Amino acid sequence: MAVAVEYYLLLSAAVFCTGVFGVLTRENALMFLISVELMLNSANINLVAFSHFYGNLTGQVFALFVMALAAAEVAVGLGIVLVLYRNFGDIDVRDATTMRW
Amino acid sequence: MVGATELTPAIPLLPFAAFLVALLVGHFAPRLLPKGGAIPGILATAGSLLLSVWTFVAVSGGGYYAQDIYTWVVGQNTFSLHFGVLIDPLSALMLVIVSLVAVLVHVFSLGYMNDEGETGLPRYYAGLGLFTFSMLSFVVADNLLMAFMFFELVGLCSFLLIGFHFREPGPPSAAKKAFLVTRFGDYFFLIGVVGILATFGTARFVAVGEGVHSFPHLAEQALAAAGGEGTMPEHVAHFLDIVGMSPETWFAVLGLLVLGGVVGKSAQFPLHTWLPDAMEGPTPVSALIHAATMVAAGVYLVARMYGFYALLPTVLAIIAFVGGFTALFAATMGVVKDELKQVLAYSTISQYGYMMLGLGTGGYIAATFHLMTHAFFKALLFLGAGSVIIAMHHNEDMWDMGGLREKMPVTYYTFLSGSLALAGIVPFAGFWSKDEILYEALIYGAGDSPILLAAYAMGLLAVFFTGFYTFRMVFLTFHGEPRSDTARDPHGVRWNVKLPLVVLGILAATVGLVNMAPVAELTGLHIEFLHQWLVIPEASNFAALGYEHYHHLLEEFAGYHAADIGPLVPGAVSLALALGGAGLAWVLYNVDSPTEHTEKLGGVKTVLYNNYYQDEYQVWLAEGVTLPLARAADTFDQGIVDGVVNGVSSVSLFAGSRVKRIQDGLVTHYAALLTLSLVVLLVAFGLFGGWF
Repeated sequence: MAVAVEYYLLLSAAVFCTGVFGVLTRENALMFLISVELMLNSANINLVAFSHFYGNLTGQVFALFVMALAAAEVAVGLGIVLVLYRNFGDIDVRDATTMRW
Repeated sequence: MVGATELTPAIPLLPFAAFLVALLVGHFAPRLLPKGGAIPGILATAGSLLLSVWTFVAVSGGGYYAQDIYTWVVGQNTFSLHFGVLIDPLSALMLVIVSLVAVLVHVFSLGYMNDEGETGLPRYYAGLGLFTFSMLSFVVADNLLMAFMFFELVGLCSFLLIGFHFREPGPPSAAKKAFLVTRFGDYFFLIGVVGILATFGTARFVAVGEGVHSFPHLAEQALAAAGGEGTMPEHVAHFLDIVGMSPETWFAVLGLLVLGGVVGKSAQFPLHTWLPDAMEGPTPVSALIHAATMVAAGVYLVARMYGFYALLPTVLAIIAFVGGFTALFAATMGVVKDELKQVLAYSTISQYGYMMLGLGTGGYIAATFHLMTHAFFKALLFLGAGSVIIAMHHNEDMWDMGGLREKMPVTYYTFLSGSLALAGIVPFAGFWSKDEILYEALIYGAGDSPILLAAYAMGLLAVFFTGFYTFRMVFLTFHGEPRSDTARDPHGVRWNVKLPLVVLGILAATVGLVNMAPVAELTGLHIEFLHQWLVIPEASNFAALGYEHYHHLLEEFAGYHAADIGPLVPGAVSLALALGGAGLAWVLYNVDSPTEHTEKLGGVKTVLYNNYYQDEYQVWLAEGVTLPLARAADTFDQGIVDGVVNGVSSVSLFAGSRVKRIQDGLVTHYAALLTLSLVVLLVAFGLFGGWF
């Protein structure tokens, strides 16, 4: 039994919007990271869904690449969060604005 | 057996070696340098003189010689640039004159510089060596570009030597003036050289050998083709198409451009103003500059490329008119000067005016003759003036002199010989040469050319002034009662001053005898030796540099033809005028205590004494015209051009400082902007893409 591709797209859009909402509203840097992960994975859902729909494996391979990328991004992101905490005693993204131009 | 021709390059290189010795040894081991560099200089120039005489003898046996020495730019499918040597009667004659005067000036410098305890002697002798080297190289140059390069080097050396006493205020400023004024003329010369190279594809004076061209010959062919004979050389035709002028016009432009350099160097009106100031240099240097090197270079250049100028009647008329005008103009200023060297300076300008007059009126031999005689008598007069200046403890004012005749007889009699030559009194050198110039001007002027006739009239009038100022100078300096303590007890001079004076004094009296044209005419004897010297046999490769060829060109292209006037009456007229001028000076100034008769001239004297305000108007040209123009250009550059550039940058800076404020460092805001922009983009796509 196959699920129609529209549902996957709806799910993906919902997850993406959750991610955007998180980025726009949260102040905690960790929540930012989580939101970014949500957005990346919504894209993954799309890739896999279309791959399945067209019977082509390329999309799934790409999804694997995106996961590797996400892992790398988290590693860097967590490092930045750690430094933020050391320097400002908090992980509130608004504290780091003192580093702008 | 080495021939004279193989050794020709050594003639200029010997003084160059003396220059290097004086410069390097003088800098690193001044004690090793005998007489501060005078001895190497004398040896080198004496060597040059011997080689020059040898060359002269070889040339008199038909040993003309042209050889490329070194090609420094090899052209692919275009012209090459090279250094070369050209020995023909004209350059051989000039080599002897220059090296002879150079030797005598070096010897004289022993008395004028060494004995007077001057400092910086290695620098002085290095300058003299380089000066002689430059002039000798200029004389032997076989192409116009090489001539130009050494022409410039001569200018540089005159700058160095005029400004020799650079710690005093006058000399550096005079040196700068000499350099700038001649540079102004040389600027046109440079354009002319480039123009000639571009037009003809060669700058050679004479073509010897296979596949070689010379620019005077190409110009002759082009003009003949324009007149309907023969074919136009391809290169010239092509270039004339580019400039879009007829060959006559374009060649005249080229001739006038080169003439710019000549007018500057030979101190012709209006670029003569540097020369009187150049008297600030040491007197032996003045002798060298005026007699044999710097100033002679201009006239020599015209004579060198006479095959080109003889084709251009317009340019010849301008040369003649400028020359005649300068001769008269400078002679009137010489009348009122109080300083010995100033009078001589104006006489130099005037005499070079005569040479230009001679060249312009087709008197190639006469001008060369005057160049030669003038070199000897003017060197003599300057060295004599130097001797007087030594005696007077460097006071040059003639009103402080007087009565020096008994105190320094050698100087007096040699100076008198030079003065008689300058004034043009028979049988001294200047009479024969000046008279021949005036005679040529008269016969070609009377042959239907009013401009030449006007130039002749001015030249003739100048004879009277020349006689007057020359003898005013002699009487004020040597006759009458001494008018100061130094004149009563002058400083003695030694052999090294007297020897050059005696040599030149004899030459000034006798050298005119080599070309006594009126006597030859009268007696039918063939005693015009200079005339015969400058004629090159038709069969020779060098015939294009001979007088016969020039004469042919003058009649063929410039339309010169001589009126039938005998040489006796014009000669008698100019002699009478010279004697009249000298006689007036005799009456006014040959008294025990002369007074300043020039005061009676009133306002005229002021004008003359201030050199017709030539300096003032040239300073006005510089300060009143050029400076505001330069200021306006500067304002345009700083205001408009830089303003636009600076305006662009400040607008960018301002905009950047405003726009950067949206980057407040809050990631949330960036994300919001991104999202909003995406939404806007989507909406825009939707609207224009027709989704709705």
